[in-house]
Amino acid sequence: MTLLITKALIASEDSAELIAADVLIEEGVIKSIGNQLKAPKDAKIIDAAGRILLPGMFDAHVHFREPGHEAKETIQSGSEAAINGGITGVVMMPNTNPSIDSGTVVGQVLDIATKQARIPVYTSGCVTKGRQGMELAGIEGMRKKGVLMLTDDGDSTGDPAVLYRAMQYATELGMFFASHCEVPELAGPRALNDGAMSYRLGIKGSPACAEEIIIDRDIRLAHATGAHIHIQHVSSKMGMETIAWWKSRGDVHVTAEVSPHHLLFCDEDIGDYDTHYKMNPPLRTKADNEALLQGLIDGTFDLIATDHAPHTPFEKSQDFASAPNGITGLDTALVSLHHHFIATGQFGWDLLIKRYSAEPRRFMGLEAAEIAEGKPADLVLFDPEKQTTFTKDFMKSKSQNTPFLDKTLMGSVELVVLGNEVLLER
Amino acid sequence: MARKDLLDIESLERRDIESLLDQSVPFKELFTRSVKKVPALKGKSVLMLFYEPSTRTHSSFEVAAKRLSADVTNFDVGQSSITKGESVRETIETLQAMRTDYVIVRHKNSGLPGVIARHTKASVINAGDGAHAHPTQALLDAFTIKEKFPDPSGRKVLIVGDILHSRVARSTTMILQKLGVQVAHLGPGSLVPKLNRDVTRFTNYEAAMDWQPDIVYLLRVQMERQDVQFFPSLREYHQLYGITDLRLEQIRERGLYIMHPGPVNRGVELCDSVMDYERSLINDQVENGIAARMAVLYWLKPGSEQQDP
Repeated sequence: MTLLITKALIASEDSAELIAADVLIEEGVIKSIGNQLKAPKDAKIIDAAGRILLPGMFDAHVHFREPGHEAKETIQSGSEAAINGGITGVVMMPNTNPSIDSGTVVGQVLDIATKQARIPVYTSGCVTKGRQGMELAGIEGMRKKGVLMLTDDGDSTGDPAVLYRAMQYATELGMFFASHCEVPELAGPRALNDGAMSYRLGIKGSPACAEEIIIDRDIRLAHATGAHIHIQHVSSKMGMETIAWWKSRGDVHVTAEVSPHHLLFCDEDIGDYDTHYKMNPPLRTKADNEALLQGLIDGTFDLIATDHAPHTPFEKSQDFASAPNGITGLDTALVSLHHHFIATGQFGWDLLIKRYSAEPRRFMGLEAAEIAEGKPADLVLFDPEKQTTFTKDFMKSKSQNTPFLDKTLMGSVELVVLGNEVLLER
Repeated sequence: MARKDLLDIESLERRDIESLLDQSVPFKELFTRSVKKVPALKGKSVLMLFYEPSTRTHSSFEVAAKRLSADVTNFDVGQSSITKGESVRETIETLQAMRTDYVIVRHKNSGLPGVIARHTKASVINAGDGAHAHPTQALLDAFTIKEKFPDPSGRKVLIVGDILHSRVARSTTMILQKLGVQVAHLGPGSLVPKLNRDVTRFTNYEAAMDWQPDIVYLLRVQMERQDVQFFPSLREYHQLYGITDLRLEQIRERGLYIMHPGPVNRGVELCDSVMDYERSLINDQVENGIAARMAVLYWLKPGSEQQDP
């Protein structure tokens, strides 16, 4: 396939400046970048004037629900949602059924991904068998199948001694850890910040300290064992400050992620028990939103990740306490970040690319996608002037549990190219 | 303005509240007649859906509906599949098929009556959901207070006990504030949240008395709701926050009224002699509950899918 994208505004992680140029792709590789490139015979030509060319995004925290909960999502539907949102690589979380806690299950999952997903799908593995926090999972078996990240995501590994031992063991094998941070006794069963909103709704709140205690505990364990610890979906200002403090010491390998919903929404948005704002860790306050945004800009957060968590309409239409935690994010993340932050000038494309494309790939031991001559084609054409309405039909995830359902935002993913294939053209 | 459902106090305007309280007066007068029934809801059906055990609220609603000549059906939740983990959405399908006009719901999950209301044509009345709301209790409390203070604005009500877990505290505080009443909360530090900017917060009985309330409203204390202890023992609670004989003397001297949503725990929230105190409004609350609930049933307008004949 030969593809000539003309007059695109090329974005990169290194500069806020967009460079206008033509991009010629041949056989899945970026052949040349320049002005007024000649279109080879049989080339498909795309006029990209006014539109932005980005490297494909990479989401290091998604729940694809297969095996076990295919009514919510499958590896195929989830990866199509990713493509729809301009994301060309993902890392699955292991809280499937059965849990991804052995080389056998990893093999099955990756086998499905190879056959059914049009983008690379990676998976993390459990720290403990069945995410029960007791016995260590089949760590070497998973590593042999390519697992790098170990996590009991959905819960913390309850017993610190278990995590401590796991870190001592698996770090030597070249693996790292990701933590969902929560003291269950403090957090209680409901995902709702402890505060005026939880009082108003009459639901036991989960105080931010329930998360912050484990953020500190797990970084401390990593410090003691020499492990690399990645803190997932940070929701509170003090949790972020804890990470910043450890990073400033410089003697522990700690990375952290923030999700779009923790930047954009707060507990007040729950309104009249809207379950599309129920996730764990919960939405906290406006002050937390602002602090987390600063943390993303100043580099306390290494990655943006959605925590894409599909649930069926039936499940989410129950009362707030009964509805499961989590919202989808892959279809909407890029457009919503553009709408709220880039279009408003709060940060540039360079930051978004760094945090949602380049760093997540490096973090997974991959080469960052880049729009440069000789690099594999892995790119997204984004129209900042066109609107997207996130209807049920537009979204490719099997589930539509998102606050953006039926909302219209500025920005549109127009084209996704990966290797020798056009994955999406709107 | 008439509406389909009554789910909380928050969504009521002051004029709605006042018209409901006004409407409760003639219904209460009815109780002194030999025939206590009016035909207002003749031919209408009321379904009682109580997922939590309740004697008082349940019978109060049942009497209220029957005095309006409605047909009352009890959906026997204890025996039904609900206890076997049937989801609320399946129950709603069943309710729709029954084509009932009013559904009166009590459930341990906050917000659940709202889910039923959104998915049914029937008028839904929240008879208590988790720690969220108990709007008819708030109406009967306000009605009871208005009988003693026809213009309650500027009066002071001290609510004592487990504020954190109490839907009564939430709804009654809100209705009183909407009527211009000043509200303070008193209880153990672990049970009185710090976030109510419009509510004065006390954790010390004497300090709360210095605030000079007109009414002391005691909440039922429930040890069984506590996963981790909020206070060490009922005995200690009684010592710190209960109405003891000694405290009752002070209350009598000042002429304060005492209220309680029932059922009372003697020796915990109050001592035996409070029950005989001449300014205890606890029995008035029970009677007024029927009138207030009649007013609510009379006021709500179920969404109709069938035409009146």
